[in-house]
Amino acid sequence: MFGQILWWMEIAAEAFILLRSINARLYGKYLSFFIYLTAVLLIDLLRFSVLTLHPNVYAPVYWYTEFLHAGIGYAVILEIYKQTLNNSPGVVRIAQTFLWGVLGAVILKVMSNAVSRPLWSTATMSVELERDMRTVQALLLAGIIALLAYYVVPTGRNLRGIIFGYSAYIYSSVVSLAFGSLPGHGLRPGWRLVQPIAYLAALLIWSYALWSYSPNPAAGTESKIDRDYKFIAGQTRRTLARARSFLKLGGEL
Amino acid sequence: MSQLLPYLGVALLLLVVSGLWARQIFLKGKSRIELLLPRKHRGTGGNTASHGDLGERIFSLEDWYFVSRYVPSEIQTMFLRERAALAISWLRRTRSRVSLVMRSHVAAVRQTENFRLGPELKLALSYLFFLVLCDLLIGWIWLRGPVRTRKMVGQTLRTVAWLRGAFEQLMARVDPATCNALRTSFDHRAVRD
Repeated sequence: MFGQILWWMEIAAEAFILLRSINARLYGKYLSFFIYLTAVLLIDLLRFSVLTLHPNVYAPVYWYTEFLHAGIGYAVILEIYKQTLNNSPGVVRIAQTFLWGVLGAVILKVMSNAVSRPLWSTATMSVELERDMRTVQALLLAGIIALLAYYVVPTGRNLRGIIFGYSAYIYSSVVSLAFGSLPGHGLRPGWRLVQPIAYLAALLIWSYALWSYSPNPAAGTESKIDRDYKFIAGQTRRTLARARSFLKLGGEL
Repeated sequence: MSQLLPYLGVALLLLVVSGLWARQIFLKGKSRIELLLPRKHRGTGGNTASHGDLGERIFSLEDWYFVSRYVPSEIQTMFLRERAALAISWLRRTRSRVSLVMRSHVAAVRQTENFRLGPELKLALSYLFFLVLCDLLIGWIWLRGPVRTRKMVGQTLRTVAWLRGAFEQLMARVDPATCNALRTSFDHRAVRD
């Protein structure tokens, strides 16, 4: 019953955020994110109608749509990367390298799993696949947040809300799916409620953060910045080397 | 259970970086480089020297010779304790100045189109190494006292002067307007993190 209440609340919250986004003209500004939210709402409505009308086929529909749900979550990551790196061409380079590295690692992992596993079971594989997909999303999110923190990239309320909400959901998903994939843990009702509760929390964060348009602050002073990277890097490197050599000298005294 | 470790590790990583970012956002007002305009202007020439004079005066061995010969042991202990605190404070100041240079660097690099990943990673590691060394040195002074570190103090004075020059040069290139404000602020020791 509690699960049903959570489900209705999620559908209501998704519909509310989408209606508000259209009303506040946010939909086009964060297109990938709202496409994700629309898809999730449609998936929820489909599941609800299947559970009501054809409960015997609910289980396979649930697993296939869960895979779709996890897959379309990459739209949120895409939106975050797009919004974050819009005004930071320097950070784009490092982000691209990171993305390609993670993508390569995932492809290798999936290939090695496919080769080593002789038998396929829909439910087990779906849980494991979703767990792996969410883990990759967690890695990508951690990477972009680390870049945001390191380069002190200015962010607006909308983007912060999207990142914090989705991070909370992904964190809970990875932990719950990891424990849920253990034998004997998957069927425990407590673990099955973690993801819906975290998702509802994310929806509440998004409801607040996406109430009105709040773009990323423009970097006003940086317009004067000289773009000679070699000079900047060389200066800073020399400063650090000098300071370090001094410290080494002090340590030897 | 061990198969869970990679997933829990990634989840923990996400939690930690999110927490650090949230903290940075929360402390944004406090961590922003604040420039305080001087109340009265003094000449900019000779400030490095005045920093040096001040440091040399604070850490001078003459003081120690005097204290060790003519005052009782309680005063000697007090003297050493206070000088250790000053040395540590000096190192922290140096570290905060290098951090300021690094922050200026990342702010500049963020906008750079010809970004190079390799040098940037080296720089980040160097900076991290510097911070660790600085903390080790602070611990070393705390353990061994300021008198035995007098040579290091001399080096510190020179390095601070050099750092200031390097920083101003960097800032002049990055943002001349801010550089002028910073130069004035440095002169009056009003640059705060």
